[in-house]
Amino acid sequence: MRKLPFLGLVLLLSACQLLFAQTKTISGKVTDSKDGSPLQGVSVQVKGTTSGTVTATDGSFSLVAPANATTLVISSLGFDSKEIAITGSALSVSLVNSESRSLDEIVVVGYGTNSKRNLAGNIAQVKGSDIRNLPVPDLTAALQGRASGVFVEAGNGKVGEGIKMRIRGSASIGGSNEPLYVVDGVPIVGGLSGSATADINFNDVESFDILKDASAAAIYGSRASNGVVLITTRRGKAGKTQFNVSSQYGTNKPTNDNRGFLNAQEYVEYFTMAAENAAKYHYNRADNWRGYASEQAAINDMLTYVRGRFNRYSGGTDWANGAVNTNWEKLAFQDANTGQIEVSATGGNEKTKFFLSGNTSKQDGILIGNKFKRSGARLNLDNEATSWLKLGFNLSITKVDRDRVPADNQFTTPMQIVALSPITPVRDPEGNLYNTPTTTYYNPLLDYEGATWKLQSWRNQGKVFADVSLMKGLSFHSEFGLDVINQDEERYWGPNTLTGNVSPTVKGVASNSFYRNTRTLVSNYLSYGKQVGDMHKIDATLGMSYENIRSRYASVNGQGFPDNTLRTLASASEITGGSASVDEDALVSYFGRATYVFDKKIIVNASARVDGSARFGDDHKYGFFPAGSVGWILSDYDFIRNSTFISFLKPRISYGVTGNNSIGLYAANRTYAPTSYALVPALALSRPGNEDLRWETTDQMDIGIEFGFFKGRLTGEIDYYSKKTKDLLYSQPTSSISGVTSVTSNIGTMENKGIEFVLNSTNISTKDFTWSSSFNIARNKNKVTKLDGEQTVIRGDARFANSIVVGQPIGIFYGVKYAGVDVQNGDPLYFLADGKTTTNDYSLAGTDFILGDPNPDWIGGLTNTVAYKGLELSFMFQGVFGNQVQDGAGGFMSASADWFDNQTRDQLNSWKQPGDITDVPEARLNRFGDFASPSISSRYISDAGYVRLKTVSLGYTLPKTLLSRIKVSSARFFVTGVNLLTFTDYKGWDPEVNTDYRSGNVNQGSDFYAAPQIKSIVFGLTLGL
Amino acid sequence: MKKILVYMSFAGLLGLTACDKQLEQLDPQQIDASLAFSTSEKVKQNLIGAYASFGTGSLFGGDVLWMSELMASNGEVTWTGTFPDPRQIWGKSILVNNSYVRSTYQNAYMTIAALNNILFYLDVVDETDRGVVEGETKFLRAMLYFELVKFFGEKSYSAGNPAALMGVPLVVDPRPASPTSEENHVPRSTVEQVYTQILADLTDAENLLPADNDFYANKPSAALALARVHLQMLDYTAARDAANRCITAATGAGFSLVGEFEDEFNTSSNTSEDLFAMQVNTQTGSNSNQTYYSTPTYGARDGDIQINEAHLDLYSPVDVRGDFFFTEGGSVFTNKWRDQYMNVKVMRLAEAYLTRAECNARLGTSVGATVALDLARTRTRAGLPVLAAPGLGEVLTERRLELAFEGQAFADAKRLRLIVDGLEYDSPKMVFPIPQRETNIYDIAQNPGYF
Repeated sequence: MRKLPFLGLVLLLSACQLLFAQTKTISGKVTDSKDGSPLQGVSVQVKGTTSGTVTATDGSFSLVAPANATTLVISSLGFDSKEIAITGSALSVSLVNSESRSLDEIVVVGYGTNSKRNLAGNIAQVKGSDIRNLPVPDLTAALQGRASGVFVEAGNGKVGEGIKMRIRGSASIGGSNEPLYVVDGVPIVGGLSGSATADINFNDVESFDILKDASAAAIYGSRASNGVVLITTRRGKAGKTQFNVSSQYGTNKPTNDNRGFLNAQEYVEYFTMAAENAAKYHYNRADNWRGYASEQAAINDMLTYVRGRFNRYSGGTDWANGAVNTNWEKLAFQDANTGQIEVSATGGNEKTKFFLSGNTSKQDGILIGNKFKRSGARLNLDNEATSWLKLGFNLSITKVDRDRVPADNQFTTPMQIVALSPITPVRDPEGNLYNTPTTTYYNPLLDYEGATWKLQSWRNQGKVFADVSLMKGLSFHSEFGLDVINQDEERYWGPNTLTGNVSPTVKGVASNSFYRNTRTLVSNYLSYGKQVGDMHKIDATLGMSYENIRSRYASVNGQGFPDNTLRTLASASEITGGSASVDEDALVSYFGRATYVFDKKIIVNASARVDGSARFGDDHKYGFFPAGSVGWILSDYDFIRNSTFISFLKPRISYGVTGNNSIGLYAANRTYAPTSYALVPALALSRPGNEDLRWETTDQMDIGIEFGFFKGRLTGEIDYYSKKTKDLLYSQPTSSISGVTSVTSNIGTMENKGIEFVLNSTNISTKDFTWSSSFNIARNKNKVTKLDGEQTVIRGDARFANSIVVGQPIGIFYGVKYAGVDVQNGDPLYFLADGKTTTNDYSLAGTDFILGDPNPDWIGGLTNTVAYKGLELSFMFQGVFGNQVQDGAGGFMSASADWFDNQTRDQLNSWKQPGDITDVPEARLNRFGDFASPSISSRYISDAGYVRLKTVSLGYTLPKTLLSRIKVSSARFFVTGVNLLTFTDYKGWDPEVNTDYRSGNVNQGSDFYAAPQIKSIVFGLTLGL
Repeated sequence: MKKILVYMSFAGLLGLTACDKQLEQLDPQQIDASLAFSTSEKVKQNLIGAYASFGTGSLFGGDVLWMSELMASNGEVTWTGTFPDPRQIWGKSILVNNSYVRSTYQNAYMTIAALNNILFYLDVVDETDRGVVEGETKFLRAMLYFELVKFFGEKSYSAGNPAALMGVPLVVDPRPASPTSEENHVPRSTVEQVYTQILADLTDAENLLPADNDFYANKPSAALALARVHLQMLDYTAARDAANRCITAATGAGFSLVGEFEDEFNTSSNTSEDLFAMQVNTQTGSNSNQTYYSTPTYGARDGDIQINEAHLDLYSPVDVRGDFFFTEGGSVFTNKWRDQYMNVKVMRLAEAYLTRAECNARLGTSVGATVALDLARTRTRAGLPVLAAPGLGEVLTERRLELAFEGQAFADAKRLRLIVDGLEYDSPKMVFPIPQRETNIYDIAQNPGYF
């Protein structure tokens, strides 16, 4: 509320106008040089004065100018500005579209903007218009495949949940590897759960500028090692208020809903066979410790046992004759819709401009019970208060409602339904869902029908800012920014659910959590720009910022609900728990940057930031992050300028230091936390602390070249980079004897080396027909180069092989190598340490084999846009190559009937008699623990590279001649598809996978009942009014 | 106005330099280590904290109990659950990365480290409480080392020369502040050394603790722990005397067997028979026995541990304990761990009577009471006739039935040299491996048969 008087001042100041005594009237028309169409909203100003206007819908303008005015300045975003002499009273001006010449693009750098031409660092820009209206919930997903060296992976098909972005590989083991997201100068905060970037309506975005090399990113210092994504939202344009209305509707489906499991008949046959085999194994090869009188006695007992199981699982139906054949896999999915309505308005006059938008979209998930809905509004306001003062204001408010589903490793999560037996009916004769013991495991449908999990997020992002022109070339910028996320998570488990069934007398469990996270930011900086003669251009920025991050959390749990319709905690008979906590973090920063351009050809850039963070040890609170770069525009020398072939050539080199501070708060301090025993207050060691804890730093070198051929019809960039990270933050395992099992330490070094290619080409460009392509491909090679100097291997957990191995990429699959099946007896075989001889005893197998790499070798994207008159087709392929995925659920679902989980169909190909050559061991039910159940090995690791038709969009823009009659300025019909086709060898549901319950820096490329990705088709209409 | 703004701008720039103290952020939820043992009250709170970690699911919150029963299953119980790691334990085909084995080892040593710190700061404790704090701390430490040496020792105490058998790392001093210090790379002591420490700790505990100490460690439980240790050492005289001291102290302080067998179990507070139990309620404490022995009907997991005919056949038809089971979906489960949020019974007075009876039977003595009288206490309660002159076999059977599923099966199998599921009691498969995470960190010797 305290900002209201300030706003009043803004409005008051904008009312002041200067009037001139002697005037003349000038009118004219502004058109697009490309096709001669009129341009609306173009600013027309009398040079040296503040008087001006904007063009109308038909491109015409008329203004009153001082009698002595000689020159008009015509400018519009996306076009080259032009100065024209005032000759006569009716002028005709045509403007050249600058966006078609990407090398002159304006890119957003930290604390300012620059032209792409005068940049010596590496920044990839994605235009907001390229991804507008894509039917995906998260902007990160929308960016997939669009920028070179930027790897995006959604962990599964749950909507609005975990998604990761890696810019030039992983630079950290123990810290975050996510880039820093900055929206209009304010770094975003994360919520308690759900993806934080899913709260942002990316239809409001003007551009995404991805700072990739150190020269570009170092201005963000201690948070820049993983790159920085600068998100700039749309701002108003002067002119008659333009409305844009867009609406779309469509369907969501899984990319793959048929992995294929045994049907009822196969299940019965297969497990009967597995029982017989197990009995023989027990009698002949496991010392018959149960003491069966004969092999046949063992078989009979085992058959009795397995038939008992069939009786149980079939719910008393006639399993022997296939009475029930349930396809549980299909039941994990739902018919899902997606839709979106968006209205935006932009306008204003030359003093005050606004952008206003409202948006509501919903994305039903493909998994039963999974939903996502987002509504929001934004107002961006600019005011030129005086000739030396500009004021601005951004505010967005978003509400996101999620209906969530449990993590992949929970029995309650929809996808675990595939473990249930096909002989089990879904419901009993009374219509109630079956549960254990009839179902093999808990039936996830019980959670779908009997539990709710709602997460509501409210998010405000905004800032107020002022630009003060202090003197010619020198201005001062000050801003106060805010990002607030408020989350309210309500869970309820009904009486029939796993969690809700506390005891025969206590039914129903609920929990409620509140979380608020705020970032406040004050940032002040001076900008100086000066052109000295024709030869020297200097730009400099110097400033400071202070950020405070504060989060609050409170939760309550209760149980015992008298009625299934009473689901809030007020109805709980017993409050069983509650907690509240507060956390605070602070960052103080000083930063500066200088760019010198000599003769418009040689660019020298230097930047530095000093960050002080509350997270580190007393002697390591401050970090210094310098960077420098040099670029040389060779194409401006005559020997190239005269070439008809080369139109642009700029080699550049950069070097710099960035940091990573993203570890848990307070990790440097040794502290004791309150705990309790029998409700008596107690203390226990919580964090071991580490006084030497310091920044993780990355040295990055980048050598690149930007080029243009054939008058700019073919442009591109090639970059080579080398990133070396030292003092890696890691939760270092320690001997339990120390009293803790790990300590946050700076151990080790890691490197990423890679190359990136970008190629943009205008293949055909005629008045009616255009075809353009954009291609990017990148290779990154990650290598852990040192741990603490002693350990060279940190192994994965009991279910996955993701390890840290010196000399290998982070998260490499490392461990026991599967050697196929013994042709004679059907045993699974593993390689001994020598890598040649094999054993059937898992515990003797060699454990030091490289089994695969979850990091892709190459990633890329190819976009083609073809337009013929009003018809436009755009399609993008996105690809990931050379990586492997481990199916951690393989030991359950593809395990030669080790236990009663339904099996994937490939298990039918198990070894059956001596001489059989197969990869699937003999089916044996592991009733007695006679042999090791399938554990981690390369048996469940497979290639998971893929190429995907990521997006395809067909649009038709109605001709203007038609539109003018119905008073509509533009109208476009479109149909868009996402993830329509996937080409892969991966045998699981979808190769783009990393199960949510364990995903992290090391834990990559793991599948564990993870939902396939979402395939969408939407139909829509966009109207300009 | 412009000038004012310019001045304000520069003032704003400079003003930020005052933010340094914002960089001193302390966790509002925790206290600095330097304060954690600063007062008598705080040292005692650390002791309560040690009870909490002692009672975690991986330790006496259940795992060490049911793992003992799975190791010595001998066809009487079956792990039918989906989790492969407990199935490995049940099948004695344990892998070095078994997560339950790892957690027990980890949590035992983490708790021992906390206990060692308390002993180090004993001087800070008020004189009046110091003895009790010391006694409780040493009791907890001894209990943990006893579980460690039984599960992870190369062989059981009586299975070889204990001075030559590998025990477990023995640490009784505070650890250095840096957890990565090489001082924490402690090699394994011998079984003998570990037992010596356990006996010393328990002897101190028995001397220092009062007979009645709310639900915290008390004199009778220290004496019963000594009896357990001496049984493992096959020192029946010492075991008998310890059990006898336990009974004397316990009955003197009002402990007694509860009237009905079923009333002893599924209680949320200690009964008169409970010498020592881990406290569990809806908010703190855990009971993993309930998680795995019970069924979803009672809020448990999946009825993972089923009871087989081989066990049920052991009961006399009139034995009420033979009916202390429930059946669901054709499978049989024990009632002892049926309900959620109930205490985990670690030591019952009944065990002391049975231990005294066994030792008296072995030694031909009647210290404290005759074998017949001690045996009659639980037998009568179970509805069984009194035996006039019970032999050792009858005592052992009674012990097995009375204490079934309460965590003594493994220790008893070892000292009684039983063959379990076809395996000799001293088979290398009848011990846990040193967890792989530890052997990865430093060069600690692994048990034979594990790699």
